[in-house]
Amino acid sequence: MGMSVLSKLEENIPSLRRYAWTLLRNSSDADDLVQECLLKALDRIDTLRAASDLRSWLFTIMHNLYVNRWRRMKLRARLAADNAEAELAVGPSQQASAEIQDVLRGLSTLTEEQRQIVLLVAVEGFQYGEVAAMLGIPVGTVMSRLSRARDRLREFVEGRERPLLRRVK
Amino acid sequence: MTAVERPIGEDELHAYVDGFLRPERRQTVERYLADHPDAATRIAGWQSVGDALREAAAWKFQEPVPATLNIARLAETRIANRWGPWRMAAGVVIALALGAGSGWLARGPREAGAAASASKVAAAANREPGAHPVQLAAAQPAQLAGRVTQGATGAGTPPDLSKSGYRLVGGQVVASGQGPACMLQYEDAQGTRITLLMRPVQKHDTSATQFAESGGGNGGRAPQLAEAGADSGGRVPQFAEAGDASGRRAPQLAEGGGTSGSAPRLAEGGSSGGAAAAGSCP
Repeated sequence: MGMSVLSKLEENIPSLRRYAWTLLRNSSDADDLVQECLLKALDRIDTLRAASDLRSWLFTIMHNLYVNRWRRMKLRARLAADNAEAELAVGPSQQASAEIQDVLRGLSTLTEEQRQIVLLVAVEGFQYGEVAAMLGIPVGTVMSRLSRARDRLREFVEGRERPLLRRVK
Repeated sequence: MTAVERPIGEDELHAYVDGFLRPERRQTVERYLADHPDAATRIAGWQSVGDALREAAAWKFQEPVPATLNIARLAETRIANRWGPWRMAAGVVIALALGAGSGWLARGPREAGAAASASKVAAAANREPGAHPVQLAAAQPAQLAGRVTQGATGAGTPPDLSKSGYRLVGGQVVASGQGPACMLQYEDAQGTRITLLMRPVQKHDTSATQFAESGGGNGGRAPQLAEAGADSGGRVPQFAEAGDASGRRAPQLAEGGGTSGSAPRLAEGGSSGGAAAAGSCP
């Protein structure tokens, strides 16, 4: 395993951590998922066809781990969100703005698929076709879920959902 | 209606927000949004959502990567987990297991026990071809071998069987009757796989055969495997015809200048999942 492969893997760790955290909203669970993903990637590095595919290849591995093996984490994350215990912090020294808190609250009301898609597109910057391949679904499905996710989150960011959410809590 | 331009689709509104549109199409969408305030409001909302999401997650991206995710360390761990047992190796036992249907290779009755356990391990591992993925794939066998040599001091290097047409494709640590062993898998151009079982042995380990390491004192060097030349007569332990489905010959095991008087002659047989054990005691 050459050093160049390792450093290319390393370059992707910050975005893997970001995606894992936005999915799980728990830092230690997220890093456990990333670690599992990296170990799997190290085991399978010879199945990577081209270095240019590395990032979406890594995200595919992590997606599969998340879906197939982290169901309990997923449930925990949802439970945490329901209990308003999911991490809202934007860093140890920063205060989360109201908008950020709103969008994170909105995120936990999305379906699992909507959440993955909107994060992969809006935060991680993947093309729609890449997301479709990663998740094993048609591009059309990606687009319709993206619409629903964005419209739903818009309601939170624009404040329309806040009163309702407070009543629920 | 004079519209010749393609109507704007919702997909293009997303592509506009995500910056995936070509410049000319982007201008078309901008003109459309200027004429459609509802759509413009919606798109502005999507953009705010994206900004908020990116801002919410930015701290995690910028956070220093914890030591538990140090990629070099993880790579080392991956190797060490597989090869760790070798660090304390006092010697090496090698068993060569030829795939299903191969010949039974054993030094003699005395070694039958050791060979049989090696055989069991290999047979168990080979029971379902394809169902047991190679755990440590060797995209670059030479580098892997180097790593192993460094990481498993005294344990030995995976033998180079390239002269026999077999290349190292992977390995994994498996249980054997005498403790952890390392199973190495080699493959030739036709896809025929052979499995080599290596394990550390103690001096008093009588189950190990004794011929392999000639150097004696240089504790733990792997027995050298090499293509036996034409002069292999008698001295060189040599695996008999494997008798596997392909009828190809098994790689031959040559001793590096042995001290063990008569070379063990590995018997040929017909049972399946055969294995032979060879080993060293420093």
